[in-house]
Amino acid sequence: MKLAIDSSRCKGCNLCMLVCPYRIFKEGKEQNERGIILPELDRPERCPNCRLQKLYGRTLCGLCQMICPDQAIRWDDEAKNERQKVEVEF
Amino acid sequence: MSFRDWYRADRLPTIYCAGCGNGTVINCALHAVDTLGWRWEDTIFVSGIGCSSRAPGYIRTDSLHTTHGRALAFATGIKLARPELHVVVFTGDGDLAAIGGNHFIHACRRNVDMTVICMNNWIYGMTGGQGSPTTPRGAITTTTPYGSGEGVFDLSALAVAAGANHVARWTSYHVKELTNAIDAGLRTPGFSLIEVLTQCPTAYGRRNKLREVSDTIEYLKTHAILLQRYNRLVAEGKPVPEDMFTVGEFVRRNRPAMGVPP
Repeated sequence: MKLAIDSSRCKGCNLCMLVCPYRIFKEGKEQNERGIILPELDRPERCPNCRLQKLYGRTLCGLCQMICPDQAIRWDDEAKNERQKVEVEF
Repeated sequence: MSFRDWYRADRLPTIYCAGCGNGTVINCALHAVDTLGWRWEDTIFVSGIGCSSRAPGYIRTDSLHTTHGRALAFATGIKLARPELHVVVFTGDGDLAAIGGNHFIHACRRNVDMTVICMNNWIYGMTGGQGSPTTPRGAITTTTPYGSGEGVFDLSALAVAAGANHVARWTSYHVKELTNAIDAGLRTPGFSLIEVLTQCPTAYGRRNKLREVSDTIEYLKTHAILLQRYNRLVAEGKPVPEDMFTVGEFVRRNRPAMGVPP
């Protein structure tokens, strides 16, 4: 699974930055076409939910998705045979 | 199925301002409802007027968007006519405490089987930032430009005194605890109030030195004191830090309830 921010819903409040224990979200720099500065993802493959959600069959941390007031954060399935980066932090 | 399937995707994004806590509360409520395995057809969301009360419009179940403050009266009607339905009420502090104050007290007294989620953002956000009964002392609003000099309504204590079966208070920062509290409220037969303190960066934060969303979240994080810790401090006679608010489950009891299906 991979983390994605829905740019049509995000309003740029950066609440996800505050709650993520892995500091995956960082402040964005460029405005999108709606004039909103979306947060950027910093190595989202570190998110345990991306790696282990399928294995455990449930959402593990999910704080960013729960606190997102605009329902903009989701996890997408990878395409078949898509290459995946793996990064584990200790 | 996840809580995201309960949203009407065609209605999103919501009209809430950037950083409004109401969306978080809807997430938590829908997550709790979803994990309980309730069906869309058997669940009904009721709301009054206000920012918080726009919530049922984004949910794909049946809903009632009623007159200001009267959401509990309508919800009582639903529960008496169709006791098998699950009734959840979204309401705000102006809706529940100010205009619907008496409905609130008597819904607690009758112990009608419903769950009330009150998004308390300390202000009337939608109408331009007027002071509400829950505005803290000294806070600046459009109707109290020199600082509010009135006492603050403690909704949870009121619900406990009026006889509700389950009362809890959390903030929009504590999402996991809030989800668990809503889950407990939905399971409890009888009246259940979950008061959620949320941030309002536009109407409240802007005038009270909490302009950034992170400022209010930091305030909620640092000024919340768990009920058990508060009770321990009081029992030991130690000083309780100033201007803290208690969070946690205030009461959970089993008084005879009204509208519970036989």
